[in-house]
Amino acid sequence: MLALILPALVILVAFQIVPILIGANASFRSWSLFNPQKTFVGLANYRRILADPLFYGTVLPNTFLFMLASVSGGLLAGLGLATLINRRFRGQRLVRTAILLPLMVPPVVAAIMITWMFNDQFGIANVILEALGLEPVAWLVSRWTSLAIVIGTDIWLWTPWFTLLILAALQTLPVEPHEAARMDGAGPWQVFRNITLPLLRPVLMVCITIRTIDAFRVFDIVWTITKGGPARSTEVFSIYAYKQAFVYLNFDLGAAASMIGAGIIMVVGGVLYKVLSYVVEVSR
Amino acid sequence: MTLLLVLPVAWMVLTAIRPASGVFYVHRGTEFTLGNFAEALAKPEMKEAFVNSALIATLATVFSLAVTITSGYMLSRFSGAASNLWFGLIYLFRCIPYISWVIPLYLLTQWMGILDTYLGLLLPHIAIHICFFSWIMKGFFDGIEPEAEYAAYIDGCSRWGAFIRIALPMATPGIVALFILSWLYTWNEFLFALILTGSRTTMLTVRMAQFVHETGIEWHLMSATAVMAIGPALIVTLFAQEYVVKGLKI
Repeated sequence: MLALILPALVILVAFQIVPILIGANASFRSWSLFNPQKTFVGLANYRRILADPLFYGTVLPNTFLFMLASVSGGLLAGLGLATLINRRFRGQRLVRTAILLPLMVPPVVAAIMITWMFNDQFGIANVILEALGLEPVAWLVSRWTSLAIVIGTDIWLWTPWFTLLILAALQTLPVEPHEAARMDGAGPWQVFRNITLPLLRPVLMVCITIRTIDAFRVFDIVWTITKGGPARSTEVFSIYAYKQAFVYLNFDLGAAASMIGAGIIMVVGGVLYKVLSYVVEVSR
Repeated sequence: MTLLLVLPVAWMVLTAIRPASGVFYVHRGTEFTLGNFAEALAKPEMKEAFVNSALIATLATVFSLAVTITSGYMLSRFSGAASNLWFGLIYLFRCIPYISWVIPLYLLTQWMGILDTYLGLLLPHIAIHICFFSWIMKGFFDGIEPEAEYAAYIDGCSRWGAFIRIALPMATPGIVALFILSWLYTWNEFLFALILTGSRTTMLTVRMAQFVHETGIEWHLMSATAVMAIGPALIVTLFAQEYVVKGLKI
């Protein structure tokens, strides 16, 4: 029995658990990449991170905003799309191809495509705005438009994932409650609201849990579109920790920041896991 | 709405086939060219990046599937403390943000002397998949009734024999689907590739992200490279989608 998990366990220990321990150790020390001393400094690094106005004033709000907006946006779009295409119609294969595509595109490439479309001089977004007689917008120069673009890109990337999972769940739902409700004179919206949605609750909760954990650690699209700019105003947690370690070469501060982030997502993940188990239990 | 999903890709493809002079007014003009692809590929660092990405994606997929098939089988067929503990570990470590282990991973691979080598990229990329794939594999084996394996025991088959001859073939459609997705995942991966590669083993995504910031004006070449980078994704969505959707039961 142990033999079955041994190879996986060895790699997990060597390349995930050991690094995390090294990181935890580094976060309690004065450990810059070129400092051989590595003196123990207790919680000093944590204090410095938590007292950094950029961290609590910009990075954490950005991270949570991104998490909430991108998960709820993807969920709503996926739910809508899945409900719409959950029947036979012409061009079904074509629609499914279109839905699957963003799921497989490298996030970095998606980010590059979006950067090009929102280029302030030549991007198609501004061409359209001008054609409509509106002022062109310098999209990536202000914090809020940049964040909106990043969030939009993430929703674009993940809507297919929500759609596929919800669609699969829709197809396994029992038909009887729906028919009964319709016979009793319920409209389509009422059926959706009172029958479909409660039945979908477990799968929606699974989607929310997985995506929330992943959205918290977003790195690639933010890095490619804004690099955390303008003026570090769109940094999220992973970018902040990366910059501390590899741009400013404060390895200890980067480790401490990443530990704080890990702590936060553990709490969030724990709560979500509890909610998930509860929802699954109740709907049984 | 479906159109909205295709638009960014379509726009990129359109940009990729416009000549350099036509790029800034992609929506006008009618000259098209395929020269951008040749020009983008002519850069040796790009060719190298394509090779590196394909190599790491293939190796990481093969090895991570090999180790998680048995791990998922264990989670599905055995109950008890060891199984619960292993599942708990997997959920826990799936939650930890990548950045929390990739920063020290840089130090670890440096210390082991495998930073910026294929091995130094490959092992972490296998590690990324362990938690999630074990979880999914458990799902595959949960969907297979164990009765056939019990019958095999009675006929004198060993546990390993039953696993290899009975359970494994039945899980194959799922495993193939996971192979495709895993390959694409590593091909698409960015953070680990960024931190664990220097100049010798640069992966495609990293090279492209550098490209945007260094030569952000050559949009026709950028787009041509991007179109080639989504090539595998396009091939899968066009030709293997039935297989992926069915295999993952989604």
